[in-house]
Amino acid sequence: MLPGSVVEHYLALSGAIFTLGAMGFLMRRNVLIQLMSIELMLNAVNLLLVSYNRVHAGNMTGQVFAFFVIAVAAAEAAVGLAIVLSYFRIRGTVQSDEADSLRH
Amino acid sequence: MIDLFIALSPLLTVGFGGLLLMLAEALGKPANNTGMSPDGAVVVDAGAGRSEELGLLATVILFSGAASSMGVWLADPATLGVELVSPWLQVDRYSLFFSFILCISGGLCTLLGGGYLEEHKIDRGEFFTLVVFSTVGAIALGFAGDLLTVFVALETMSLGVYCMIGLRRSSPRAGEAALKYFLLGSFAAAIMMFGAALLYAATGHTDLAGIGAFVGGLGGEASGETAMVIVGMLLMLIGMAFKISAVPFHMWAPDAYEGAPTPTTSFMAAAVKTAAFAVLLRILLIAFGDPRLMSWGAGWPPVMACLSVLSMTIANVIAGRQSSVKRMLAYSSISHAGYLLMGVCAAMRLPEEASASVMFYLAGYCISTIGAFGALILCGSRGKEAVSYADLAGIGRRHPAAAAAFALFVISLAGMPPTAGFFGKLYVFRATIDAELYSLAIIGLLNSIVGAYYYMKVLVFMYMREPIPGAPIAIPMRSSMVVSALIIAAALVVAIGVLPGALLEMAAVAAAALS
Repeated sequence: MLPGSVVEHYLALSGAIFTLGAMGFLMRRNVLIQLMSIELMLNAVNLLLVSYNRVHAGNMTGQVFAFFVIAVAAAEAAVGLAIVLSYFRIRGTVQSDEADSLRH
Repeated sequence: MIDLFIALSPLLTVGFGGLLLMLAEALGKPANNTGMSPDGAVVVDAGAGRSEELGLLATVILFSGAASSMGVWLADPATLGVELVSPWLQVDRYSLFFSFILCISGGLCTLLGGGYLEEHKIDRGEFFTLVVFSTVGAIALGFAGDLLTVFVALETMSLGVYCMIGLRRSSPRAGEAALKYFLLGSFAAAIMMFGAALLYAATGHTDLAGIGAFVGGLGGEASGETAMVIVGMLLMLIGMAFKISAVPFHMWAPDAYEGAPTPTTSFMAAAVKTAAFAVLLRILLIAFGDPRLMSWGAGWPPVMACLSVLSMTIANVIAGRQSSVKRMLAYSSISHAGYLLMGVCAAMRLPEEASASVMFYLAGYCISTIGAFGALILCGSRGKEAVSYADLAGIGRRHPAAAAAFALFVISLAGMPPTAGFFGKLYVFRATIDAELYSLAIIGLLNSIVGAYYYMKVLVFMYMREPIPGAPIAIPMRSSMVVSALIIAAALVVAIGVLPGALLEMAAVAAAALS
């Protein structure tokens, strides 16, 4: 088992990665970069799950959870890229702030 | 073992039905196998031109899912060896109640799709498969008793919906709606997952009951674990607020609802919202059911109350200013999320009564909102889709049946007797008052009076206005599938409105299974 003070470093690191991802999602306007920011956020989740699995070492829940997150993130990226592609074919841009035809 | 398959039959029926539907679409003989892609190339699509039969098959699958939920309910799930899949899937009467509503909603949406897609020349077979698989995710979300299954079920449901929104590939509006919903939906899912990971880090559990037990054992003093549990809870709540489209996390909803094909919109407004409320109630009452987290001081009730007041008030104000009926219905569904959150708040003092009222409200709301979108579909035809109030002018005289159906569902959404919506509102308000949340109940009551204004506007335009001469008017489409969906929905709305007792009793039994 990792000592408590070491695992807290992982908590801080994963919090930082998550914050970076969230900031990237909110501040960048390129859809591809926003997609990458979401992946970054999910990877922060994975890091947290795997590192705390060492603290709760009785079972493998955290690691198994991380596998599921990876698999679902891959599926999500596939659907997301398909949506971006079909949007790009119509509009010729991947800037999310130009997606404003639905506003009045 | 065989018992377990029976207990899981709602999920298995719909899941295997979805696979069957995919085969039927891929292997069936196409009626018309050429279509045009946006860039002008001829594409082959096996499902094209067969919306009616595929839609009918999907409806049969989903309604048999509803029938099997009812069967398992009657057989008493507790006797069917369900502890083998617990806590990942909790097969109890609470989840069965939701799987019943979700299957009925999904089935009505596929019926609407069967008529709509053909009329508007986007008859692509994958729509029905996507509805069925999204419904699988929604049912699983109702069953989920572990953060892992919550996550997987939520994504199963959402991924299907993202694709359904973008079904009309040549339309920039649909592409934009899909893009917005996808970006904000996956952002919300990531926030929710970080909350889940924090909860796991603090408690060592991912099953909701285990988290609840750990939180109950935490001392009152501030510690690292307490902080992580509270931050994790707030992040989970933010993620779910996105899914139920509560203000201020609603920005995506009006755009996504308006840009999507109308059957998809009705699925999002009904099934997605219902499933999100199912899991929200379960998480709040099982994982965060500790008395300290259910107090006004430091728990979720003040958060829920704020979301509720904001959703009701802001959505009602904006809905009144819309000129598009579809967008008005989108804002109306946000305000309904506000009323429902009021019931969720009341669960802090009266878990059973309040959950039962929320479940009853959801049943009535689902059917009424699908009916309202369905009536909007019926009022328009290809190239002449009814979207604005002006399109509906005088339709009461020209097409009385379509107008009467629309009027019934709008009255139910406004919460007037003798419809399901009236009793839903009544029970939610009663639970809120019984829980001594008087100011919340008063705000809700004022809001439902304000809300009546824009619902009545639909009636005024249908029955008291005549179209401006020369303006394009909506011509109702002819489709036996849309009509039969509306007849089923209307029968249910009136039946629940006249005899609410049976459904309320079922909701009470289901809510008792939750605690």
